[in-house]
Amino acid sequence: MSRRQHKSRARGAPVTTVVVLRLYIVGGAPNSVQAIANLEAICQEYLKDGHKLEVVDVLEHPRRALAEGVLVTPSLAKLSPLPAANVVGNLSDKAKVLLALGLRK
Amino acid sequence: MKLKNLPLRLVKGGPEQQAIEAGEIDAIIDHASSNVILLPAARRALQEAAHEASKANSLLAALPHAEHQRLLAGLEPVTLKFGEVLQEPGSPVRHVYFPVDCVICLVTTPEGPEVGLVGYEGMVGISLALGVNVSSVRALVQASGTAMRMKAAHFIKALSQCPALQRELYRHADAKLALARQTVTCNCFHAVEARLARWLLMTSDRVRSEEFFLTQAFLAEMLGVRRATVNEAVGPLQRRKLIANTRGKIMILDRKGLEAAACRCYTRIAVSAPSRRGSSAARGLASSP
Repeated sequence: MSRRQHKSRARGAPVTTVVVLRLYIVGGAPNSVQAIANLEAICQEYLKDGHKLEVVDVLEHPRRALAEGVLVTPSLAKLSPLPAANVVGNLSDKAKVLLALGLRK
Repeated sequence: MKLKNLPLRLVKGGPEQQAIEAGEIDAIIDHASSNVILLPAARRALQEAAHEASKANSLLAALPHAEHQRLLAGLEPVTLKFGEVLQEPGSPVRHVYFPVDCVICLVTTPEGPEVGLVGYEGMVGISLALGVNVSSVRALVQASGTAMRMKAAHFIKALSQCPALQRELYRHADAKLALARQTVTCNCFHAVEARLARWLLMTSDRVRSEEFFLTQAFLAEMLGVRRATVNEAVGPLQRRKLIANTRGKIMILDRKGLEAAACRCYTRIAVSAPSRRGSSAARGLASSP
């Protein structure tokens, strides 16, 4: 039974992995607004429901940003699946974001 | 962009520095001082947003441009959440709040009942404008949203330099006094159903929406009655299709009907609003349906 399952995966049956993302922003600031829009567009196009996105406003939660070692905003962190990755800036470079998210071959 | 004063932790030529050079960064988190440092463009954008937001408060919007600009330096936008207590009776007033899209209710004791409601037409901490720096009421956030906040010391200074603000606030203080008087009378003499209808209409005026969240437990506290009594009052209003109430969400279905169900206090409070007496403040409230 287990062998059969293994076989079907090997043939390329899709394994749904949820991509966990965290975006550090300053609410209302121009680059942050742009980063949210850019990321939402990318998620909509490539990940659909297969992602979890948490947006952290560093003005409201500065301690979180400090504890998690964030240096600048906007800053996107891919937490799962490993390897973890970071992209900084307004995420207008789609290729760079896709590479970090592991969506670009 | 000058990078001289930026924290040294950023790696030279690293992605953070590249993004800064490209103008794609809003803020730097300085781990040495534990501060979030906004870059000039972001700061400007936030100030402009704060400027726009402050215009949504009628008291601030009524000020002449120069005075509004001067006041803006001391105002910061804050997000207030349901249940948050801004002031306690007997405690010093540390901040004043100009609600933008949130609603604050005033009670004298933690158990209620309500003695006032403040929305975008007014401010919380009016006692400071009258020279008293101790709050006489508990200010409780009833509907979450944004408010412009100012430190008490800054407010007192601004008030002494700004005659237009003084005028607006004295009018507002008078309107709040009238509201409190009417509310006390209403709480003593009128039926719960009529008081409930009034409270829903007042809340709707201040959130500028026919839909808002109010739990029955909160309503019971505000009206100073048991929860079962609120249930008994909500039932007839729902049956007459004046309101709908599902999981704490209240929808006003028939505003005219609800006004008819409310006691006359609602109209009296609206009549005693400053706008009806020629002030430019609270114009929105007066014109609300």
